[in-house]
Amino acid sequence: MSGNTLLVVGEGAWVGAVAEFLRPSGWRIATYALEPPSHPVDEGDVGRRLIGEALGPLAAEASVAMETVLWPFERKRALVRALDAVLPPSVPLATWCSAQSTTEIASWTQHPSRVVGYSLLPPLELVQLVEIAPGLATAAAASATVEELFAAAGRETARVRDDAGLVAARIVCLIINEAAAMVQEGVATPRDIDTALRLGANYPRGPLEWADAMGIDTVYAVLAGLLAEQQEDRYRPCPLLRKMVLAGRLGRKSGRGFFEYDSA
Amino acid sequence: MQRIGVIGTGTMGIGIVQVAAQQGLDVVAVEIDEGRSRAARESLGKTFDRLVERGRLGREEADAALARIRWTTLYDDLDGVEAVIEAVPERIELKHHVFRELDAVCRPDALLATNTSSLSVTEIGAVVRDQTRVLGLHFFNPVPLMALVEIVRALHTSPAVLERARGLVQQLGKTAVEVTDTPGFIVNRVARPFYNEALRLLNDGVADAATIDRIMKQALGFRMGPFELMDLIGNDVNFAVTSSLFQSYFGEPRYRPSHIQERLVKAGLLGRKTGQGYYKYER
Repeated sequence: MSGNTLLVVGEGAWVGAVAEFLRPSGWRIATYALEPPSHPVDEGDVGRRLIGEALGPLAAEASVAMETVLWPFERKRALVRALDAVLPPSVPLATWCSAQSTTEIASWTQHPSRVVGYSLLPPLELVQLVEIAPGLATAAAASATVEELFAAAGRETARVRDDAGLVAARIVCLIINEAAAMVQEGVATPRDIDTALRLGANYPRGPLEWADAMGIDTVYAVLAGLLAEQQEDRYRPCPLLRKMVLAGRLGRKSGRGFFEYDSA
Repeated sequence: MQRIGVIGTGTMGIGIVQVAAQQGLDVVAVEIDEGRSRAARESLGKTFDRLVERGRLGREEADAALARIRWTTLYDDLDGVEAVIEAVPERIELKHHVFRELDAVCRPDALLATNTSSLSVTEIGAVVRDQTRVLGLHFFNPVPLMALVEIVRALHTSPAVLERARGLVQQLGKTAVEVTDTPGFIVNRVARPFYNEALRLLNDGVADAATIDRIMKQALGFRMGPFELMDLIGNDVNFAVTSSLFQSYFGEPRYRPSHIQERLVKAGLLGRKTGQGYYKYER
């Protein structure tokens, strides 16, 4: 049991889910929820003040801060910069690096050595392992502190080289992208695609049901980030995914994605 | 349906024969090579013996299933069947030869299905006079254990034929999904990044094979990691599927094979079956 305090900042249900994921650490956990974005893919939507007065005192007490926003990228950048401005320089900033490299995210800050990338994908129920990617400028002590936090919560970590998407998000989102392409082409139904992968390849979930659980915006963000970093056609997001984000068909959380859900 | 034909008694053909006979269908198993036909018959007899020994099947049921199979070297014995499933090696000339034979001997209303995984069903069926009755029935290996069958709609396949195919798949105790005749169908296409992007990550030095496998299992819940699975499937088989998809989509970069895997294949490091692939195995 330590006297450490973790500050988790982000949006909607995901802030709470990440805080719960880390609850077994025994750290004190403070959460700070942002106003939701006004538009799903409007990268210019940063005119509004992202962060209120209440963040300052929370930041002053944090041993580690963790941001949990992936998308839109401009919004993430505004959040990372705001946190960098209010956190004491010695406090590590854990950043969700599933779509952009830690090195890129750290380049937005005045203190890149404190920025440590982690990758986690919703839904968290089956997740036993967190990927950690120090950026080129990250200090060893900052990475070690973030790894200690996950270890204290009983979560395994795997260190990987800092490339957009790391391992899990990169592979699973490309699988989803391929499934989405088949839907777009009209050559198979979402239901049949999911059944095929579960029964024909022993997948734990069908890729499209998985996309709905992960959030179509999250999937799109990972693919858009991969394309931006790799600059290869191989990573081009299926246009259908972008349209679904624009139409607010974000998956389970919005009641409709590739499948429909009873709204809670 | 009561009576079907299966052409070819390799791994897939013999698996389809077994499942059909166990599900109570009469099966005409055509294998033009008499030696191979006899070997297949003996092999399936042993398979049923093992099932009986392990208590999975009663002796009587096994004997009844075996009695429902007619082993033959002659296409002419297919004259009464309601559907034929072709499972010969993946060479287009060979498939065309088989389908010409089927066109000549089968009832005009018999379904003519191919179990191809890498060729176009439409192209295979192009030698048949009535192409509305041609379709793909893509089974997965091992057939008795894998619940899925992809029903492939070729360009000319009629809705009535698809309807009858769904009925047949159900009779075989399998779950059907439907897909238009496109390279890789569903499973071999959508699952491609699981292997191919893992190879790319290894190539780029993001993580080693063991770390990638651990992450895919523990962060996402896959039962096996991509490198363990490629070693199990065989790197030669996996590389062939990826290469075929890449060619069929005219060089689409998403399907580009990895030279890392090609090197393993060339070196004979095919995975478990040779004792080494990405990992080493005790032989």
